[in-house]
Amino acid sequence: MSASQSAVRSRAEAVQVSRTFDWMILFTLFTAVLGGYHIHYMLTGGDWDFWTDWKDRRLWVTVAPIVSITFPAAVQACLWWRYRLPVGATLSVVALMIGEWINRYMNFWGWTYFPVNICFPSNLLPGAIVLDVVLMLGNSMTLTAVIGGLAYGLLFYPGNWPVIAPLHVPVEYNGMMMTLADLQGYHYVRTGTPEYIRMVEKGTLRTFGKDVAPVSAFFSGFVSIIIYFLWHFFGRWFAKTDFIADDAS
Amino acid sequence: MKIIKDKVAKLSFVALLVAMATAMFYAPAASAHGEKSQAAFMRMRTIHWFDLNWSKEEVAVNETMTISGKFLVFAGWPETVDKPEVSFLNVGIPGPVFIRAGSWIGGQLVPRSVSLELGEVYEFKVLLKARRPGDWHVHSMMNVQGGGPIIGPGKWVTVTGSMSQFVNPVTTLTGQTINLENYALDNVYFWHAVWFAIAFAWLLFWIKRPLFVPRHIAVSTGKADSLISAGDKKVGMLFGVGTMVIVAASMASTNEKYPVTTPLQAGLLRGMKTYQMPESTVSVKVDDATYRVPGRAMQMTLTVTNNGDSAIRLGEFNTAGVRFLDPAVHEDDTNYPDDLLAEEGLTVSDNSPLAPGETRTIEVTASDAAWEVYRLADLIYDPDSRFAGLLFFWDANGNRQLVTVDAPLIPTFI
Ligand SMILES: [Cu+2]
Repeated sequence: MSASQSAVRSRAEAVQVSRTFDWMILFTLFTAVLGGYHIHYMLTGGDWDFWTDWKDRRLWVTVAPIVSITFPAAVQACLWWRYRLPVGATLSVVALMIGEWINRYMNFWGWTYFPVNICFPSNLLPGAIVLDVVLMLGNSMTLTAVIGGLAYGLLFYPGNWPVIAPLHVPVEYNGMMMTLADLQGYHYVRTGTPEYIRMVEKGTLRTFGKDVAPVSAFFSGFVSIIIYFLWHFFGRWFAKTDFIADDAS
Repeated sequence: MKIIKDKVAKLSFVALLVAMATAMFYAPAASAHGEKSQAAFMRMRTIHWFDLNWSKEEVAVNETMTISGKFLVFAGWPETVDKPEVSFLNVGIPGPVFIRAGSWIGGQLVPRSVSLELGEVYEFKVLLKARRPGDWHVHSMMNVQGGGPIIGPGKWVTVTGSMSQFVNPVTTLTGQTINLENYALDNVYFWHAVWFAIAFAWLLFWIKRPLFVPRHIAVSTGKADSLISAGDKKVGMLFGVGTMVIVAASMASTNEKYPVTTPLQAGLLRGMKTYQMPESTVSVKVDDATYRVPGRAMQMTLTVTNNGDSAIRLGEFNTAGVRFLDPAVHEDDTNYPDDLLAEEGLTVSDNSPLAPGETRTIEVTASDAAWEVYRLADLIYDPDSRFAGLLFFWDANGNRQLVTVDAPLIPTFI
């Protein structure tokens, strides 16, 4: 914009306009991230997040952090380097999880009557908060990727365990042993999601005995580091102002 | 400024719409099961369901009913569909209006996927417990990996009562009896509320101050460092350390509260017990088969040889769950769904008993509106225009024999 004429007449008015502007931008950012992130996460994490009988100690632990660190990294890049606001990751994940809760409650439960205790979303918040804190304290993309990305992967399983542990209590059902989560998947009929689509307990991590979740979490953390870099660059590119007239940058 | 404000307002509105659309974007397939839109050859040449029985037509919430019967895994399985090496016995219902309390193939519980052999007959049973009131079309169904859902015949079942009365008690191996319908739900809400509260506190700590314009000015004039105070860093530290402490502590307390947990169970079940049909002593050769489009009738010329020791008659032709009967030989007494039953739909040129050792060429016509209603006539538009089905022969003592037919089909349009 050219500075030929000011739109405000006093400092107080300028402050007020600036604040209004803040809320509008925040609201826009929040809803846009909610929409984009939600679609992204449903397409990549999909069933692993929808159903308790997909939340295993190998693939869910690995996949969910890797595909969900994307938007937090990009939004961080924009909000930190432009505004020094260390809330990019938390804001993204809060938006995503609010969107997911609306979807699970209104569609899965309200529309198709799946009990909420089979289709609640995964908790991604602990990792997001730590990601923001690391960026703020370190003021470095590399540090955030390495420490934050790893922490994001590692915090995922323990951050969800209090929620899913009760559903991993075993039960004997007609002569077979299964967890309550397996039983939920069996009881609450999903016509379009036959059992064989379920990708759980697959993989080659067989030498670690029953302690496979930490190994999966570490692996997930390492890949999250790489994905963090990639999406952080997307975010920086997206937050460029080259395409606006010179005096705006 | 005004223009920007308008633009932002407009953008916010668009973003809100996008977000709402996204939230609505996904609902697990609920209503239409589309049994009629599935390609006819899929229904005619893959899984043949027969001897089906729905134990009830009306059932109250919390009460159970069964669908049982047999299915033949067709030997002439189409090339274009993956073999049923990984299959799952399902039910076609609009979401969890019933819960699947049990399902068995050959007497074995099948909560997992199974491997099926071509040409074999299996006996199955699905136990359903009513959950949501309404009129529901209840189908048998087989999901085949790489082949999709193969939906069997459906029958309308009425569920009465109220869903709020539904309970799903389960006793765990640790000895507690829980109601799986809402088990651990408070725990889910509690932990999500805790983490949302912490996250909102962190967001609020930042967004309560002037944001975009002043901070952008500060960053672009080189005063970025002034935006994060020592106090901010302390608060950040508190949130970071606090998060990790809460995660560690909640994990430890959870392990104490639930010392016995097991991983999710998965795996393919092989070697399913097959059902032995009585050895067939009838041989059938299809000389030709035509489908008359205007007459909604399929006509086949069959050469039948009786190699057994009692005289037999053709009583039923069954394809894609539609049953064409010759009432002189066989009548249905199982309350089979009306729309799938042509009680007098089978006409045979000479259906007098075929004596042992005798061979006869007969004209068989299977005609019923079901050809159109169930879009089986669309068969003539399939990539591999063949038909297939089951023929049932009876002797005077009511002994039944099953013979499958599989042959090319020529449509006639006049
Ligand atoms: Cu139906």
